[in-house]
Amino acid sequence: MTERTETDRARGAVRRAHRPRRTTHPAVTGGLKILGLALVLGWCLFPFLWMGMTSLRTGSVALTDPNILRGPFSLANYEQVLDLGFQYALRNSLIVAALTTIICIPVASLAGYALARLPLAGRFLLLAATLVATLFPPVALVNPLYQMYLKLGEWTGINLLNTYTGLVIPYVALTLPLAIFILATFFAGIPREIEESAKVDGATPFQAFWRVVVPLAAPGVGAAAILTFVYATNEFLLAFSFAPRDLNVQTVPVFVGTFERVGYENPIGQIMAASVLVSVPLIAFALILQRRIVAGLTSGAVKG
Amino acid sequence: MATIRSAGPPVRKKDERIRRGLGERAMGRIFLAPSFTFMAVIALFPVFYALWMSLYQIRGFRQEFIGIDNYLRALSDPGFYNAVLNTLIFTLASVSLEFVIGLMFALIMHQVFVGRGLARAIILVPWVIPTAVAAQVWRYMFDHNPGFVNGVLNTEINWLRDPAWSMVGIIAADVWKTAPFVALLLLAGLQTIPKDYYEAARVDGAGAIQRFWSITLPLLRPAIVVALLFRTVDALRMFDFAYVFAGYSNSLATLSVYAQRFLVAEPQLGYANALSTVTFVVVMLVGLAFISRMGRHMVGDVARRGEKR
Repeated sequence: MTERTETDRARGAVRRAHRPRRTTHPAVTGGLKILGLALVLGWCLFPFLWMGMTSLRTGSVALTDPNILRGPFSLANYEQVLDLGFQYALRNSLIVAALTTIICIPVASLAGYALARLPLAGRFLLLAATLVATLFPPVALVNPLYQMYLKLGEWTGINLLNTYTGLVIPYVALTLPLAIFILATFFAGIPREIEESAKVDGATPFQAFWRVVVPLAAPGVGAAAILTFVYATNEFLLAFSFAPRDLNVQTVPVFVGTFERVGYENPIGQIMAASVLVSVPLIAFALILQRRIVAGLTSGAVKG
Repeated sequence: MATIRSAGPPVRKKDERIRRGLGERAMGRIFLAPSFTFMAVIALFPVFYALWMSLYQIRGFRQEFIGIDNYLRALSDPGFYNAVLNTLIFTLASVSLEFVIGLMFALIMHQVFVGRGLARAIILVPWVIPTAVAAQVWRYMFDHNPGFVNGVLNTEINWLRDPAWSMVGIIAADVWKTAPFVALLLLAGLQTIPKDYYEAARVDGAGAIQRFWSITLPLLRPAIVVALLFRTVDALRMFDFAYVFAGYSNSLATLSVYAQRFLVAEPQLGYANALSTVTFVVVMLVGLAFISRMGRHMVGDVARRGEKR
C-alpha cells in the first residue's frame, strides 16, 4: 500500500521532469485535488455530524431550530433509547449477523472451492447460476417463507416467526451466492502448483484443501465473512416481516426504522441517539477491516 | 510434475491416479451439496411455492383456486401501476445520479495520492450504515421540524408530505448512501488501466477530455457494467428507504413495499404472492439482461482457471 503510493509518487516525479511544460500551476492542481478530496470526505461524513449533534440536543429547541450548534446539550436521548431497550436490538443484530456468518462461510467455502478447483460437470452453468442468485430480491421470499413458517408451526409445532432461527435461515440463503462467488474468485487465484505439491507429498485431496488452500485463502474468507455480516446487520424487509415487535429478536434496522412517536413528542433525538449507538461500532468495524472489505467488494468487479 | 510421477512404480501410480480422480469428483459433489441444497430449499422452492399460492384466493385458513385472477387484478389495480412507476422513477434517477457522482469521486480519488487511503476508508462509512438507519436520519433531515434541509437550501418545502418532493428525498438519500460504493468499484477499475496508455496519448497530443473519452471510459467498461448491474437490481428491489419515509402510502410505495403490504398490514396472501412473483420476474429479467452482456467475462475467468488441469 505505502509502497505502491511511493512508486506512484516516484513515477509522478519522473513524469513531471520529462514533461516539457505545464499548462496549470502545480499549486492550482494541488489545491483542486485537496478540494476534491474534501468534497468526497464531506459527502460521506456530514450526515453523521448532523446525527451526532441532533442526538445530543434536547428540549423544544431541537425541534424548532435547524441550527445544530444550538443547545441545550445532554445525554438524555441516550438514556431514553436505552430505557426503551435499544441495547437488546443491538444484541439481537449481533447474534443474528454472527450466526449467519458462522453458518454461511464454511458452507460457501466448500462450494467456492469445488467451483474453482474440483472437476465438475457444468462448472460454467453452476457459476452463472450462482451469479444470477446474487440478484435474488428478498421480497420474493417474504410471502412464501412466511406461509411456510406458519405451515411448519401447524404441522410440527416448531415456531420460526419471532425467532433468531427464522431470520438466520433466509439470511444464509440470501448471502450464500455472493459468498460463494467471492470465495470461488479467491480460490481460483491461488496457484495450483502449491496444492499439487502438497498432494505429491502424500496429502489427500481433502487435506490439500483444508491444510493448504484454506489458510492461503484466509483474506478471501475474511472478505466474504465481513460482507455477509454487514448484509445481515443491514437487512430490514425480512426482519420487519418475521420479527417486527418482540424485543427479544427485533434487530436494529427494525427498531430504528419503525420507531413510533410516543404521544405528541417528536422522537428525533432518540432516533438519532440510537443511530449513533449503532453507527459507531459499525464505522469502527469498516475502518479497521477496510482493506478486506474493498477486496471483497471489488473482487468480481475488476476481473473474474 | 512428470518427473516426480515417473519416479514411482508404474502400477501403483495408475491406481493412485484413479483413486484421486474419483476422490476429487466425489469431493466436488459433496462440497457443492450443502450450499445448493440449502439455496434450493430456502430460495428456489419458495419462488415456486409463491407462484402456486398466487393462483389462490387466501382469506384466513380458506383457500380458493382462482387461476390467474390475482395477476389480472394487478393489471387493473392503480396501486400496482403506481408502484411500478415509483420503482422505475426511483431506479432511473438514483442509478444515473449514482453513476455520475460515483465516477466523479473515483476520478478524484484516482488523482489524489496523499490521502487516498483515508478517502478509501471513509468512503465505506455510508456503505456500512444499515439502510433503515440512514433512511431515518435522512427523513429527519428533510422533516419540516426542525427543517435542516430547508434551512440549508433556504426553502419552505414540505418534503415528507408532497409526493414528488418525497421521491426527491429518497433518491437523495439513496444517492448519498451508494454513490461512494459505485466510486469504490470504479476506482478499482481505474487502477487496472495501464498508465502507459495515458502517456502515449499525451505524447500524441490528446487533451484531458479526449483521454477520458477514448481511454478511461472504454477501458472502464467492465467495472461500469458491474456497478450498474448491482445498483440497478438493488434499486428495483428497494424497500427500506420507501417504507421508512412514507410507510405503505402510495406516494412512495415501490414494488417491494406494495407486495409486502398485503402480507401483514392487509393480509391478502394470494395477491401478495402474485405481486412478489411479478417483482421477482422483473428483477431477474433485468439482472439476466446485464449478466448475459458481461457474465461471460465475470464467470469465465474462474471457470477457465478451474478447467485448467
